[in-house]
Amino acid sequence: MLRKIVFSVNGSRVVFAGNPLTRLIDVLRDELKLTGVKEGCGEGECGACSIIKDGKLVTSCIIPVGACEGSEIYTIEGIRDTEKGKCLVDAFRDGGAVQCGFCIPGMVMAAYALLSANPNPDENAIRMAISGNICRCTGYDLIVDSIRLAAERGGDLWQ
Amino acid sequence: MAVNYVPETLEEALLLRKAEKAVPLAGGTDIMVQHRRAQGTAPNPGFPVMVISGLKELKGIRKLEDGSVEIMALATAAEIASSDIVPWHVRKAASGMGAIALRNTATIGGNIGNASPKGDLPQPLILLDAEVVLASFDGERRMLLDDFILGSKKTALADDEIIKSVIIPPHDFTYMFYRKIGMRKANAISKLSLSAACSVKDGIISDFRASSGAAGPKVIRSREAESMIIRRPVDELADIVPDFLDAWDHAISPHAMPKYRRHTTARMLTYFLEAIVNGAEPGVIGEEEK
Ligand SMILES: Cc1cc2nc3c(=O)[nH]c(=O)nc-3n(C[C@H](O)[C@H](O)[C@H](O)COP(=O)(O)OP(=O)(O)OC[C@H]3O[C@@H](n4cnc5c(N)ncnc54)[C@H](O)[C@@H]3O)c2cc1C
Ligand code: FES
Ligand code: FES
Repeated sequence: MLRKIVFSVNGSRVVFAGNPLTRLIDVLRDELKLTGVKEGCGEGECGACSIIKDGKLVTSCIIPVGACEGSEIYTIEGIRDTEKGKCLVDAFRDGGAVQCGFCIPGMVMAAYALLSANPNPDENAIRMAISGNICRCTGYDLIVDSIRLAAERGGDLWQ
Repeated sequence: MAVNYVPETLEEALLLRKAEKAVPLAGGTDIMVQHRRAQGTAPNPGFPVMVISGLKELKGIRKLEDGSVEIMALATAAEIASSDIVPWHVRKAASGMGAIALRNTATIGGNIGNASPKGDLPQPLILLDAEVVLASFDGERRMLLDDFILGSKKTALADDEIIKSVIIPPHDFTYMFYRKIGMRKANAISKLSLSAACSVKDGIISDFRASSGAAGPKVIRSREAESMIIRRPVDELADIVPDFLDAWDHAISPHAMPKYRRHTTARMLTYFLEAIVNGAEPGVIGEEEK
């Protein structure tokens, strides 16, 4: 009766056979050991668990694995060593955007989704893009500046 | 624990619905949160759930021959907000839902199926006389969304049915208005919203409608209040406004912070009506049209 759910995570094939209501975040963290995906609120409000599913930013704590059949999923682990990922991670470091770091994987995923769709966002667009990501440390300004920095440094990379 | 399913086709889903009474999960943004348990454990709603997120038959947005727009049940808020065939009021409401990640996941079928008074999409859809298409293994039926939503969290969905799509009939408004007032999350019902639309032809108001969200257990439209304005000359509108506002105030029944909600609703309506009285440029009242 159980239908297998087949999808890909960071380019590798994953076959899941179990309760389809299992939260995607639990599959990523507990089974695939992708612990860069953080759990803050567990109810879609804080963005710590943000990942990219079929090119779109989503919060993995409220997505059941049953909704992932055929999906391509990327977590921070899957993008941080790409050119774009490095550009973002470097900009976050150089821009002083990181304090405790808990929100940062989600922030980087949100910034990645933003710059991939809009390579040259203004401040307002950046603030909108991370409006679902809560940071309890930085007050956001340095994060916004760092995303701007990544856009400038990356240039053609984001086109 | 109840068994959960992932049907591969709409037909399979309708069969599961009929035979197992499986409850559809579309985006899951309501169900996953309402039934959440501890970290590392799957939600357990206590009834069988079928994850319908992958059903191609329920995706997309299209224009029908008569000019209506059909939004399939699995269309997300983000897809609706960025579609250029979806009517303005509905796009506007969809673009104001949650943050980006939520809009990429939340579906129109789920927003209607949940029938929460704070849900953003029913309000503009009811303004536009939208209908829902309900499918079951034995056939389909259509009804006005206003009739489908019975009250707070109550719908006319039969236990063998799923929402297939929403159909919005064509319209041609001279003036349009939409506003959502976000309040503190701590409030029981967090948002008050208002849509309004008006058509003026040869100095006569040929169509006028308004709908209030989160000002009662369900979206409020008052044909009685609307009929006070329809077919009257624009020149007389200023004289009708006080009686109309009074009728609207009687139509709504806000539960939390009623004074504030009544006052704010009246202010929004006044703003829209005054713009028409003052002969505003046709289009969206109160902001740049995007
Ligand atoms: C962080 C956060 C922020 C939110 N912000 C907003 C907001 O600003 N505005 C707003 O309106 N809502 C908001 N919501 C609520 C929720 O996202 C919406 O109601 C959403 O549209 C639900 O859609 P879904 O597909 O995720 O629903 P699901 O959870 O999949 O389903 C919701 C209900 O509808 C039923 N259902 C779903 N699809 C169908 C179908 N095809 N046929 C029959 N029944 C169906 C389900 O059985 C269930 O009862 C928010 C939720 C979260 C977690
Ligand atoms: S943990 Fe998923 S949004 Fe907070
Ligand atoms: S750096 Fe600590 S939460 Fe953002």
